[in-house]
Amino acid sequence: MDTPVALVSTTHTICERCKQNPANHKLRTEKVCAQCFSVYITTKAIKRMETYRHRGPKTQASKKLLLPLSFGPCSTSLLYILNDHLQGQYDRMNRATYELIVVHINIFTTPKDREISFKRLQEFQSRFPRHCFRMINLEESLQVEDIDWNTIDTFLLPETRGQISPDVKLSQLIGSIVSPTSRAEMVSILFFRLLVSFGRKNNCESVLFGDSITKLAEKTLTVIARGNGSSLQWQVSDGLSPLGISCKYPLRDLNKKEIVAFSLLATPPLDGLIIRDDTTPMSSCEKPSTINDLMSQYFESVESNYPSIVANVVRTCGKLRTMTSQNSTPCGLCGLPFDNEMGTLSCDSGISSSHQPIQLPKHVSSFCRGCFKLVSNTQ
Amino acid sequence: MAPIPCAVCKDSRALIVRPKNHQKLCKNCFISVFEEEVHQTISTTKIFSPGERIAIGASGGKDSTVLASVLKTLNSKYNYGLELVLLSIDEGIKGYRDDSLETVKNNAIQYDMPLKIVGYDELYGWTMDQVVETIGKKGNCTYCGVFRRQALDRGAKMLGIKHVVTGHNADDLAETILMNLLRGDLSRLARSTNIMTGDDSSDVRRSKPLKYAYEKEIVLYAHHKKLEYFTTECIYSPEAFRGSARTLIKNLERIRPSAILDVVRSGEDMAKMVSEEASLFDHCRSQEGPQINEQGGEEDTGGCGGSNGRTSGGEMAEMEKLLVENEIASEREIDFTSEPIIVGEKSAKKLLQTSGAQPKKQSQPKVNRQKLGTCSKCGYMSSQQVCKACSLLEGLNKNRPKIEIEI
Repeated sequence: MDTPVALVSTTHTICERCKQNPANHKLRTEKVCAQCFSVYITTKAIKRMETYRHRGPKTQASKKLLLPLSFGPCSTSLLYILNDHLQGQYDRMNRATYELIVVHINIFTTPKDREISFKRLQEFQSRFPRHCFRMINLEESLQVEDIDWNTIDTFLLPETRGQISPDVKLSQLIGSIVSPTSRAEMVSILFFRLLVSFGRKNNCESVLFGDSITKLAEKTLTVIARGNGSSLQWQVSDGLSPLGISCKYPLRDLNKKEIVAFSLLATPPLDGLIIRDDTTPMSSCEKPSTINDLMSQYFESVESNYPSIVANVVRTCGKLRTMTSQNSTPCGLCGLPFDNEMGTLSCDSGISSSHQPIQLPKHVSSFCRGCFKLVSNTQ
Repeated sequence: MAPIPCAVCKDSRALIVRPKNHQKLCKNCFISVFEEEVHQTISTTKIFSPGERIAIGASGGKDSTVLASVLKTLNSKYNYGLELVLLSIDEGIKGYRDDSLETVKNNAIQYDMPLKIVGYDELYGWTMDQVVETIGKKGNCTYCGVFRRQALDRGAKMLGIKHVVTGHNADDLAETILMNLLRGDLSRLARSTNIMTGDDSSDVRRSKPLKYAYEKEIVLYAHHKKLEYFTTECIYSPEAFRGSARTLIKNLERIRPSAILDVVRSGEDMAKMVSEEASLFDHCRSQEGPQINEQGGEEDTGGCGGSNGRTSGGEMAEMEKLLVENEIASEREIDFTSEPIIVGEKSAKKLLQTSGAQPKKQSQPKVNRQKLGTCSKCGYMSSQQVCKACSLLEGLNKNRPKIEIEI
């Protein structure tokens, strides 16, 4: 029977892509059905994995890629997409061009939290059995040799004597930092250093982050607000990092809302696995206590009205050249190269000298501006 | 609790907590430290030379008042050898600008500086009162910003002065950096971080000696030195939407006071990372090539006293619309540069036919280098044939008998 057109248009809209199913998802400017939405999201991510297509001799070994899993919707969605991608490769060509090592890093130190994380990781293992799952703890970053721990301990743990367990030491280290936003920064730096160190030990070629374009925009402004504009390229761009491992962001063409919507469409459902940190309108009224939270709230509000502006911020920073200077040395904490001459003014020494009268020049030269303030506890 | 001694002199009681770094200071030490920091900014960047005549853009607001006071103090204390002049622009807004100009006149007497007032009606034949009568309140800030920027330069030329200093502070700069980032404007980002724009080949140079001073400290300095300044906001933009960049800056400052200066420094670092095509970055006076000052550009921010950071409400919406259109258009492009394609003869022919059907577009259009020229109408510098002010003026004059503009 031929349904009248007027009746169809008044009851529901048709998907603009396949023209068949009801359109219950909004895709930028289009109204699409659930299936076309999922295909769009998946295609955007797989497109970024083109470097791992089948190419060259068949005997070429698979590449190892590290996927940090936070149990959030973005990293879980990335794992779900790549799992299907690998399965498809194997079905068609009887081999895969890369293999995933999925790692979860425990930030919290209570045994109960770690037990919960371990069980959740086991559930992930059951759901995606072809991958290698590992769990490590943040205090293992204390053994990363590239970090200048001697100097950091001098600043932040001057009274500590003798042997203490790594988790207690890490707690004391972070606890001695005064401001909440500096503590959050220290945790994220150690997290990243540990991730890179773990990836290199396991011979991984790249780290695949599940960061959306929203997350990258937040990170961009956080880095700028930290005063580390010169190292911006290393922190939000795809490619080889100065730490000896590549960083890739396969979900960088998608914003967070789209990825969250995608994670709700997965079959079978991922709901039992994902930890959702849905922000209620009530919590958004709270004043953010860290720069990260502020940027998160800011871009969440910008994204709802102006999603392209969020993407444009990251795209704009991608056009900046990397600063390669003869004077650049790696920072003793974050490891990124910095130029000690760049942007240094007398105002800096004028301000900091009142806080650190015993400060020696050699300390300044081993940390970048942002990390030095972090380590010396000058807000 | 016992009174906290001053962190610098240890003698007097601390009355001020510095917004910049939470240092506790007494009144005299705060004034001294503030002036010293401005001096360090001036001496390390070498923006002045002995014997130079400097015009201080004076609006009667706190920034320009503090700038005039500090420059007078430092000029005598460190023997800069500068000749300082106050330069004010009268937009012709009754009930607002005439009152603030009274403040500037008092400042001129108090600081013993010559004062030159240039009016919009004198330069353009229109006061802002008349502009608003003609076009209404919406959009009048654009006219005022464009006119004011040019008027300051033309006023300086009348005085035979080649260097104008403005009271832009660290908050203004941080806000401008974030705003240009949200706009995706790398050229403007590179220019806005420079403490001085233009060089000897330009008509008028601009400097921002208060570049690293916090807005709150400027208020504290004015208060403790008992400086008189005007605080009323512009009456034609009382409902103006405060830019989201400004709100973000204020929230950042609350979380970490040093973040404002950190944003400024990041902006400086990123300016060096902008490709040379995007900007002629004039880092020092000896560098060749003029620095282009675009009409209605980055220095609109922070002018006109208390109207800092006001932008039209629809700006982000327009930006979003433009970006969406760009994205839709780019999806129609055929990208041949993603990776090398090894194709047979048949496939090659197909590709050629396809590329013929849809001409290939540049994935990243080359950033156009702006060229410094002069307006064909008034002779002021402009990157276009006719400068922005004359274009706006032409629109206004269509509804009015022609009036000759004299320079």
